[in-house]
Amino acid sequence: MKSVLIGGIGNVLLGDDGVGPYVARLLDAYYEFDDGVEVADLGTPALDLIDQISGKDAVILIDSIHTGAAPGTVLLYRKADVMCLRPAVRMDPHSPALVETLLSTELFGSAPKELLLVGIEGSSYDSGCNLSDPVNNSIQRVIAEVLGELARLRVTYRRREHPVQTGIWWATTEKTSALRTS
Amino acid sequence: MAKRITIDPITRIEGHLRIDVEVDNNSVSNAWASCTMWRGIEKILRGRDPRDAWLFTQRFCGVCTTVHAMASVRAVEDALKLEVPPNAQYIRNLILIAHALHDHIVHFYQLSALDWVDVLQIPKADPAATSKLAESLSPWTRNSHNELKAAQDRVNAVASSGQLGIFANGYWGHPAMRLSPEVNLLAFSHYVQALEYQRKALQVVGILGSKTPHIQNLTVGGVANAIDLDSQSALGMDKLEMIRELLAQVVQFVQEVYFVDVCAVAAMYADWFKIGSGVRNYLAVPDLPLDSRGSAYDLPGGYIRQGDLAGVKSFQTAADPAFRQAVSEDVMHAYYQGDKALHPWVGETEPAFTGWDGEQKYSWVKAPRFNGEPMQVGPLSQILIGYAQGHALTRKYTNLAIEKIAAIGNVHVTPDMLHSTLGRHAARAIRACMLAELAQKHWQLLVDNISKGDYTVHNQPVLPSHEVQGVGTHEAPRGTLSHWVVIEDEKIKNYQAVVPSTWNASPRDRAGAHGPYEASLLHTPLARPEEPLEVLRTVHSFDPCMACACHAFDPSGREIAQVKVL
Repeated sequence: MKSVLIGGIGNVLLGDDGVGPYVARLLDAYYEFDDGVEVADLGTPALDLIDQISGKDAVILIDSIHTGAAPGTVLLYRKADVMCLRPAVRMDPHSPALVETLLSTELFGSAPKELLLVGIEGSSYDSGCNLSDPVNNSIQRVIAEVLGELARLRVTYRRREHPVQTGIWWATTEKTSALRTS
Repeated sequence: MAKRITIDPITRIEGHLRIDVEVDNNSVSNAWASCTMWRGIEKILRGRDPRDAWLFTQRFCGVCTTVHAMASVRAVEDALKLEVPPNAQYIRNLILIAHALHDHIVHFYQLSALDWVDVLQIPKADPAATSKLAESLSPWTRNSHNELKAAQDRVNAVASSGQLGIFANGYWGHPAMRLSPEVNLLAFSHYVQALEYQRKALQVVGILGSKTPHIQNLTVGGVANAIDLDSQSALGMDKLEMIRELLAQVVQFVQEVYFVDVCAVAAMYADWFKIGSGVRNYLAVPDLPLDSRGSAYDLPGGYIRQGDLAGVKSFQTAADPAFRQAVSEDVMHAYYQGDKALHPWVGETEPAFTGWDGEQKYSWVKAPRFNGEPMQVGPLSQILIGYAQGHALTRKYTNLAIEKIAAIGNVHVTPDMLHSTLGRHAARAIRACMLAELAQKHWQLLVDNISKGDYTVHNQPVLPSHEVQGVGTHEAPRGTLSHWVVIEDEKIKNYQAVVPSTWNASPRDRAGAHGPYEASLLHTPLARPEEPLEVLRTVHSFDPCMACACHAFDPSGREIAQVKVL
């Protein structure tokens, strides 16, 4: 059985930065997965991400991105796309650390064999607990990418007959319409 | 002529720490610390149920989750005059201790160690000689020749691939690097091992908090853990034994590895006991309450002014009037409307961005002041205050550090030398040893209390309709954290968090007084101003936490910090 982490990354109090945790919780509420699959709202783990991804066969991360593309654009990155970046000069232990995390696990021999980062271009990162419309509209696509990756990894999943509560306690305008059909 | 150097991890939205220094004849002549992002997260809390506030504050920072959760429930409990049952105190204390041990280990090995350890020297080390050296320093069993050889092989493999990868962001080969190849190898092997032990500390948080990184077991008035000694799902002997075993391993790592490594670095870079002092006003709040009323604590609090240890003042409680009345936040040089210094209960957070101007406004961080003065917070503050008060546990491990450093490097450290960059590192390691001992004590307190038949974990909060105010404090890994809440009609009317890094990273105030980071950088010698390793050493010694707020991936690689020399 493959060990797979589906992790949503981001700060749920800063607008579109919360899209990762939001999608992770939607997936958890609407789908059931093989036993080896862990779905987690990771918040903003910085270097603690090393602990989360170490030893996994595959990791799927959902995170907001900054590319200058139109808000709501979904872009995919593989392990090699991340590994070729240089880590930042580190001022504090809590800055974003995806690059360092991957390089560290590579050094320690515990890196996941496969990694997919599903990135969503945000439009607003001001303090607030709701996603912008363009990001909300991209959620169905994001979920399709995650499920597509699971299929590629030959990990099974199924829609729950009776979805459980999403646990998205922070948002006042939860939009799950993307999940009602499919 | 003076040169201006800016260290700025540029990204568009993350809240980063930016440091500007003016360098004259290879010595820092002026400094500015600023934060490049507005948080203003407190505003989200207005109008919400105060019993839910901790869920939101826990999201302020992705790594300091538990500390903001704890300060929040304590603030509401203070406002409601609500006591917390002993079991809940001990469970909370164990979570706070485990989190702090994790945090201190991460700080040293993941953030700071590579400021002092030169990875490029490791291939030159002799693993056998390293193992022999290690034996003379510590009883740690994982300093064997094999273990050290394996660590060296990892570095060799990375180096021979031509890709320094994870180490590409360090200043290797810098003239300020001074350890022998063997010490570099030893420290590096511990850097690898540290990951295992910090994980064990987090497992303790996870068992008690039911989840990490966001614990679920807090509630205003106590904790939500069900206690049943015979149960495997509730908090019973199975889980308690697991916690005891995990803590024992972390304690051993802290005392035999982390503490010893810090003493070794201190002995070999002893000139850094003379660098990085800065603000000598220190502030710490008492923490780890021993009873439901919070009338006794295991960690001491108080304040010191102008480095006068003999004149130390004590706080009797975590919300001592001498603390709660003395705090204000000054926005003279911060990007907020006006120029007032306001108490947090009447604090305002109205942004007014005007761009970086070192003479005017230049940071999103407000300037917290204690009776109008800047204060340094963090482990050094707590250790100096405890030492000055004659606190037994503080004296025990401070004296042990002094003896260890003397034994390794023939350096005689006095408490007065702790006002320094190395002093901050030493104090953090001393504090970690204290916490390690206290972890075992509070585990025993919890087990003893449960064994007496007390299973109570929660007192019911009652929200009054009239206005009430509260402050919740926590002596967090980075120092004094305080959450300030005003409640009216069962809703939050105002909420302010004065976080440790705000005290330390504070900009100048109305009187022009530098904040602690800024002051600590003055007169720092720089061997190569374009590679300001020395600036990073001092800034890292405070253990900054600015960027916790937001976390987005920039695939262009713009996470890379810029060092600009103008």
